[in-house]
Amino acid sequence: MPKTVLTVDDSPSIRRMIAMTLQEAGYDVVEAVDGQDGLTKALAQPIDAIITDQNMPNLDGLGFIRALRQHPQGKGVPIVVLSTDSEEGLKQQARDAGALGWMVKPFTQDKLLAVIKKVVG
Amino acid sequence: MMDDMTAIFREEVRDLLESLERGLLDLKSRPDDMGLVNQVFRDLHTVKGSGAMFGFTELSAFIHEFETVFDKVRSGHLAVGPDLLRLALAAKDEIPGLVEGEADPEGRRVAILSGLHGLLGGAPVAEAVAEMAPAEAGPTGDGALRLTFRLTGAALALGARPDLVLDELRGLGAVEIAADLADVPPLDRLDVEACAFGWKMVLPASVTAAQVEEVFLFVDADWSLDAVAAETVETVVDVVAVPVPEAAPAAKAASPKAPVERPVAKVEAKVEPKAETKTEAKTEAKSEAGATIRVPAERLDALMDSVGELVIAEARLAQLARDLRDPALIATAEQITRLAGGLRDATMTMRMVPMRSLVGRFRRLVLDLSDKLGKPVEFRVTGEDTELDKTVIEKLADPLVHVLRNALDHGMEMPEARVAAGKSREGLVELVAEHAGAEVLIKVRDDGKGMDPAKLREKAIAKGLILPETQMTEAQIFALIFEPGFSTAEAVTDLSGRGVGMDVVRRTIDALRGTIQIESALGRGTTVTLRLPLTLAIIEGLQIEVAGEQYILPMPNVQEIVELPPEKAEPSRTEDFLDVRGGFVPFLRLRQLFDCAGTPGAGQNVVIVRAGEARVGIVVDRIIGTNQTVIKQMSKLHAGVRALSGATLLGNGSIALILDVGHLVGMSRQQGDAAQAVRQEVLA
Amino acid sequence: MTIHHLKEDRSLTVVTLSLGKQVLAIPAVRLREILDPMPVTRVPGAGPLVPAVLNVRGTVVPLANLKQVLRIPETEADDRRRILVLDVTIAGEAAVVAVEADAVHEVATIETAIIEPVPAAASAWPPEYLTGLYRGGEGFVLMPDLDHILSVLAQRPMA
Repeated sequence: MPKTVLTVDDSPSIRRMIAMTLQEAGYDVVEAVDGQDGLTKALAQPIDAIITDQNMPNLDGLGFIRALRQHPQGKGVPIVVLSTDSEEGLKQQARDAGALGWMVKPFTQDKLLAVIKKVVG
Repeated sequence: MMDDMTAIFREEVRDLLESLERGLLDLKSRPDDMGLVNQVFRDLHTVKGSGAMFGFTELSAFIHEFETVFDKVRSGHLAVGPDLLRLALAAKDEIPGLVEGEADPEGRRVAILSGLHGLLGGAPVAEAVAEMAPAEAGPTGDGALRLTFRLTGAALALGARPDLVLDELRGLGAVEIAADLADVPPLDRLDVEACAFGWKMVLPASVTAAQVEEVFLFVDADWSLDAVAAETVETVVDVVAVPVPEAAPAAKAASPKAPVERPVAKVEAKVEPKAETKTEAKTEAKSEAGATIRVPAERLDALMDSVGELVIAEARLAQLARDLRDPALIATAEQITRLAGGLRDATMTMRMVPMRSLVGRFRRLVLDLSDKLGKPVEFRVTGEDTELDKTVIEKLADPLVHVLRNALDHGMEMPEARVAAGKSREGLVELVAEHAGAEVLIKVRDDGKGMDPAKLREKAIAKGLILPETQMTEAQIFALIFEPGFSTAEAVTDLSGRGVGMDVVRRTIDALRGTIQIESALGRGTTVTLRLPLTLAIIEGLQIEVAGEQYILPMPNVQEIVELPPEKAEPSRTEDFLDVRGGFVPFLRLRQLFDCAGTPGAGQNVVIVRAGEARVGIVVDRIIGTNQTVIKQMSKLHAGVRALSGATLLGNGSIALILDVGHLVGMSRQQGDAAQAVRQEVLA
Repeated sequence: MTIHHLKEDRSLTVVTLSLGKQVLAIPAVRLREILDPMPVTRVPGAGPLVPAVLNVRGTVVPLANLKQVLRIPETEADDRRRILVLDVTIAGEAAVVAVEADAVHEVATIETAIIEPVPAAASAWPPEYLTGLYRGGEGFVLMPDLDHILSVLAQRPMA
């Protein structure tokens, strides 16, 4: 059974890029346009991993992670935060919010696949 | 695919620019609206991030400055003013050109950037795009590396997958991966969301700290990477010598951009004397682990039971294989026979306990007695490491206490008497344990006054234990001290009482299928030798049948099997003796003894068994054969049946009872005495 | 086990069985398994109260004759005869013992309030071997004090 990855990003191009890359590698991908949408979609179906942007309208990445971790379904799902920022501060905030790790933009498709493989196998 | 993506990106930029322009224009009238500021920042951020993704590096670099300004506004370090908005709108207008890859011949973009730079107060501009991959650290050396790691905090709750981490490490060449279970709490305190164990492994020297850092990118873990020293190197000196030169370059190679402080610090820390202490600790732990594992006795018993059943099933398999004459099956059965034998031996070895566990209390006993009796005695023990089945050891304690007491109380003279006899004032009592084939010999030797067979004989006759005309060997006469109510002490002491206890010795040793032998030289001392089987769990048994019922006689007790002469087939009060090689051996009829119905067929056999010095014939219907007999204790509900020492399961699942030869011999002696008395009556 | 121990709980799950015409109840927690009649090995000299042993999954288990102990007359056995393997305590030690039943009826939960002490006098059964009794559908149901019975049996003189 293919693993399902949720990508949460307000940038359609990033979302599409992630979705296409992962789908080609055999993953199912669910897309969400912001944190609010991401939360709805994460709770609506079983999700194996989440890749989320930080800066998004309505609910940002950290807010989305915190909200998701409140739910039983949201516990134990690996979440990777996408960011253009590589500074420690955001990493720490993301960790505290409940992210497993982060990935710095820009990234290549290979890097994305390597990260996903690292978190869900 | 990238072309599709670029098209999508351009579309996205158009939307974002609209949003950005609207935002900037609105900020003119509402410069304090943080919602607007955030929106603008986000739009810029997205264009920058996506642009970098799809190869628009120039665009990303340009917007980075722009974004930095709005980040300052967002954080309250910069106010929205007309200059800022003007520059921002100008910058926004440059974006479509950057996306299309147009040149900037008039240097507008540079002007905008320097204007933005001016707004930031000349603060240094950060690099456009942060480096993703941590810099490679140099190789750590030629020797292997030891990696240990432990997940921390809520790593598991966050979705960390140690299995994937291990897979990745295996990909790096990790070997000897082992879990460290030391910190696993008891079940009632187990936190299911925490990972209680750590792992350790050996990595090839070519693996860099950066590579390991990369593995742990998504896992909250404490990890350390050290040069392997302790396990592979023989001596402490070598340990210290090896890692030093290799470790240093690793520290130097660490890139400032992606610091790998943790591992480097560890490598340095381990370099000098620590390796030495580590080695010692390891060696200690190893030798400790090698010494003993404590296992509850019941588990050993359970294991022994299983092995016993395996032995039974194996015997059955061997029989089947022979019957079927299938060479492949026979070969397999033989292999299983060997394996079962090995397993049985190994299991029996596990049940072995050294004599040492008993000796402590004997030392104390001898000391107390010697004080109390006023007989100074040296107690010497040899062969404390001699091992015996744990059940034998447990049951041996009491009989040995009696024998030792007897040696001090009755065997040893008072010091004055010793001196008068030309001996040392201090007596010597020795306890010697040694292996002799499948038996263990335990000797209690004293250099006391010894026993006088003539006196013993007189006493036994006086007490009615034997008849005056009974012919006895010296050994048989000495064995009389184990008869109930026999004592050689002139004065009754409170210690050994009136010979009470020595008969218990013989009963216990009989029950252990052992024998007692006494040698004594008048004036020089006495030696009591206990001969015990190594194990009680499995014996070689002789399976016999009586009236359709199966019984087992322990093979070590079996001397020979003869046919019952037809003229003895009928029970008789006086003639139940056999002439076996010039000696008369009394015999017991199991049919009679066990109240069996019916009459025996022709061709009954007599199994001559020996217990101690005594022999007895056991009349049985049929001899089935020998087998490995796994002894199962009888329950308390049958503990009083003295003729039986246990039970065993046969290959077909039925039960055969094991006969207690010592007890049968005792019974025959009583019967024999009665028969002798009858004969004398007849003769008289 | 006294009747007071039994009454510590409001209800008790028992397995009921027949010995001859008498119905008995044994706490269900004691029951390990119910076996069809199987060959047993006579233990010579053990006497009629615990006359044999049997092989229960590789363990040599003594077979006690409760009918003899409780003085219940023998009846002819039929195909309802079963062997019950029970967890007991003999003189303070855990043990396994088998008993024969002429029939095993049901597992039932009874209110402990209905359990009565055994009248010391005018009793056909040895009161010291019973914890209590209660009125069932077809007369009295006896509750044997297994641990006590077996501990006494362990002390009996044997050959």
